[in-house]
Amino acid sequence: MKLRECFEYIAGRWKSELVILSAGNCSEMWWEVTRDSERAFYLEASMSLASMFGAGIALGVPPTPVWVFSGDGAFCMNPGMLMVERQMNLPNLKHFLVSNRCYGSTYEARLPNASANDYASMARAMGIERVYRIDSLDALQRDFASAVAQPGHVFTVLEVEPVGKKLEEPPMDGPEMKYRFGRYIERMTGVRIFDGSLF
Amino acid sequence: MASVSNVTARIVEEAAKCGVKLVASLPDTWISELIEAFDKDRRFTHVPVNREESAIGLCSGAFFSGTGALALMGASGFMTCVYALTKINYTYQIPLLLLVTLRGGLGDRAKYHVSNGLYLKPLMDSISMPCTIVDSPEKVSVISTAYAHSRVISRPVVVGFTRGVLRGEQ
Repeated sequence: MKLRECFEYIAGRWKSELVILSAGNCSEMWWEVTRDSERAFYLEASMSLASMFGAGIALGVPPTPVWVFSGDGAFCMNPGMLMVERQMNLPNLKHFLVSNRCYGSTYEARLPNASANDYASMARAMGIERVYRIDSLDALQRDFASAVAQPGHVFTVLEVEPVGKKLEEPPMDGPEMKYRFGRYIERMTGVRIFDGSLF
Repeated sequence: MASVSNVTARIVEEAAKCGVKLVASLPDTWISELIEAFDKDRRFTHVPVNREESAIGLCSGAFFSGTGALALMGASGFMTCVYALTKINYTYQIPLLLLVTLRGGLGDRAKYHVSNGLYLKPLMDSISMPCTIVDSPEKVSVISTAYAHSRVISRPVVVGFTRGVLRGEQ
């Protein structure tokens, strides 16, 4: 499955969900496909913490679904994230692992043990009950709705081909992204993020 | 001298007072009672994490849901968080309160924490991390000040605890 086709399909079904994207191909392809700078947070400045970041959001806004896209390069740095996710078991957290079996944004450098890593089995071994492995657009079209529509924490592995080229990075700097994303959440959920009460 | 349970209760109350709802922790022997107290207190959601960087990610995300959060960890754990703190919290200017043990300081008999005594504070200085020290039970109230300061400066702030305070020794 090509990453662009995969993201185009998912973005086409994107409604009120908040989206968190890990560094590299996830952020860059989502930006290329959507050009969104409010509902998506491009966590370009950090690897391996996108799902924890998303869990922190999901915990505080339980009616709002949170979609997290992690690259498998990031995942390999911190697979124990799944233990925390399973323990928190947030019904509105949907974690997609974008598996291209390489470090996509660094000239597709080799990932350790790339061909043998079975991410779906790792998730099941940690007790996550709803695990999907999707390796084709047909499978995505068949399984996507059940993966995201029902309440409950879900871990979905999206097996994609390496992109094969460098993509454009989202052009916002950190504080701009913080305020665009945070103001959007304030408007949509009513929570106070940028609290004036301290002043 | 205040007992461990007394200091623990003070810290927990101070965290509640400044609006903390989420506590993410990794243990250190000095804070085992404190972690248990947060875990049992229904005012908080306590999340034991797999590594300290996960606490940084979790608490930083919580900021975007308007959820007050703190990360609780030992000095060694903090030393592993430079990447997460500088890349997430500094880049995006996300406030975060960290409660950290000052391992390796005077009175710490653990030889394997000598490096923390030597390098923890210089490391914090090297990344311009504000840190305030709690070396007596009366200073526990600085937690609220540090929490507010973190939000004012949109960066993390560390509150460091000495062994004497956390273990009820002076």
